[in-house]
Formats: sequence, structure tokens, C-alpha cells
Amino acid sequence: MRPGSTTAPSAPWNVIRELATMQERMNRIWGVPHGRDHEEANPGAWAPVVDIYENGGRELVIKADVPGLKREDIDLTFDSNVLTVRGSRRPDEGVKDESYHRLERAYGPFSRSFTLPATIDAARVRAEYRDGVLTVTLPMREESRPRQIQVDGGE
Amino acid sequence: MALVRWDPARELASMEVDRLNHMFSNFYGEGFSRSWVPAVDIYETAQHEVIIKAELPEMKREEIGLTFENNVLTLSGERKVDEQVARDRFQRMERFYGGFSRSFTLPATVDAAQITASYKDGVLTVRLPQRDEAKPKQITVGD
Repeated sequence: MRPGSTTAPSAPWNVIRELATMQERMNRIWGVPHGRDHEEANPGAWAPVVDIYENGGRELVIKADVPGLKREDIDLTFDSNVLTVRGSRRPDEGVKDESYHRLERAYGPFSRSFTLPATIDAARVRAEYRDGVLTVTLPMREESRPRQIQVDGGE
Repeated sequence: MALVRWDPARELASMEVDRLNHMFSNFYGEGFSRSWVPAVDIYETAQHEVIIKAELPEMKREEIGLTFENNVLTLSGERKVDEQVARDRFQRMERFYGGFSRSFTLPATVDAAQITASYKDGVLTVRLPQRDEAKPKQITVGD
């Protein structure tokens, strides 16, 4: 490397690596979570996709696609307004690697955290797992309700 | 099994295009009508059954279409957005919605009459047993 040069020592051009780097950069720009396509860069780790919305009852709902898991494989913690969902998906037992014709689903550990508003009532957070979807319902405390504020004027 | 040679460059490129399209279609409010492709695993058991597992979280059994014709298994359906939730209440929408369709060409030895499918925990499992002729045979070397 020449002094003052910022480029790395030249390596043979690798289109795959180039694309992967490009993708990573794009992911960072768009804030896309590390998904199943990331296994190569971060072996064994994946992150489920989620929807987050507010329902009519002033509750925040987080739905994560985690098909093919068992309830007991999911670990959910809520600490200092950060909700973390962790778990691991295991491939079917007794299937040899060479028996696979196609392996698109992600296996191994996953983890994803969400910072939530301080108005979440931690004591009333509930979760259920059904049809491969984890639904976490986080009610907000009363104080988060919109309030009408009177505008006073001097006579 | 008719398999296409894997081309990682093409896969990565199409993935990126898909993601961008998905993002922009969301932006233009067409997100709900976009089609998507469920992830699948395909493997063969020791009993020479072909197993196809597709990730279809939060669907109803009756919304999943499965046909087998000329050794092509086609999986189709539509995942609908919960109509109870207004669009503007979403803070994040990463999950895929809309119609999907995926086809797989299977060996001619699959016994169509024996195909079974089940749906559990968001995963559709299709079992395709093969006729005896697909099983390995010992061949004696003659003189």
C-alpha cells in the first residue's frame, strides 16, 4: 500500500463479495435488518421480519414471522423499554446435508430488539404464538392518551 | 429433479431489486398487491420421500392452494393484511402480503396418489412418496 493511500491492497475482483458489500451498504442505508440472506456475512444468525402497529385500544402490536418454532424456543424479555425476542430454529432431525435439494429457510439463533416508548405498561405486556407468528401486545399507560389542552388568553 | 444451476450473483442482484421494488411499492401505496415468494426447503428422507416445507406464517389452511400436474407441484395463495388495522397505524411493515405462486418440477417417480400435505406453526409440509422404482437397486455384475 502506498503511503497516504486509503485503498486496501488490491485483491482479485470478486463479484460476489462486491455485491454482498453493496447489499450490506444498502441495508445500512435503508435500515433493513439482517435477514436470511445474511448468513454468509454473519453465519448462523438471522432476524425475523416484523410488523409494528398501534391498534384501536392504545396498544402497540408487534408481529414477527417465526414459522416452525415451538413456544418454548422463543425467549422474550422487556427491560428498560427494550423488547428483545430471541430464539433458535433447528432443522429437522435426521436429515443429512446431502439430502437437501434446496435450503432457503434460515436456521440457527436469531435475535431482534426494539426500543419502545416509555409509556408502555410493562406489567401488562402479553404475547402469543400462533400459526408461526409471534404477536406481542404492549398496552400503553393512561398518561399516553391524547389530552386536550386549554388555551388561556389574557383579557 | 430439474434443478437450475445456482448463480449467487444473480440471486443477490434479484434480491436487491426485489427489496428495492418492495420498498418503493410500499412508498407508492401498492404494497398490498405486490406478490412475494415463500421460502422453501426441499429434502429427501431415507425412505425416498421428497419433503417440501414452505414458510407460510399466519395463513388459513383453506387459503393455500396446492396442485400436482405433470410432475409439477404448484403452491399458491394470498396473504391478506388485517383489515382491522388502518394503514397509517403501521410504524413498520416488513412482512410480505399479497399473492404468491411457486412451482417445483419433481421426479417422474413421485406417486401422485400418495401425496399428503399438512399445515402447522406457519409451515406447510408436503410429503411426496416415490414409487418403488425410485429406490436404489443392487445390480449384480455378471460375467
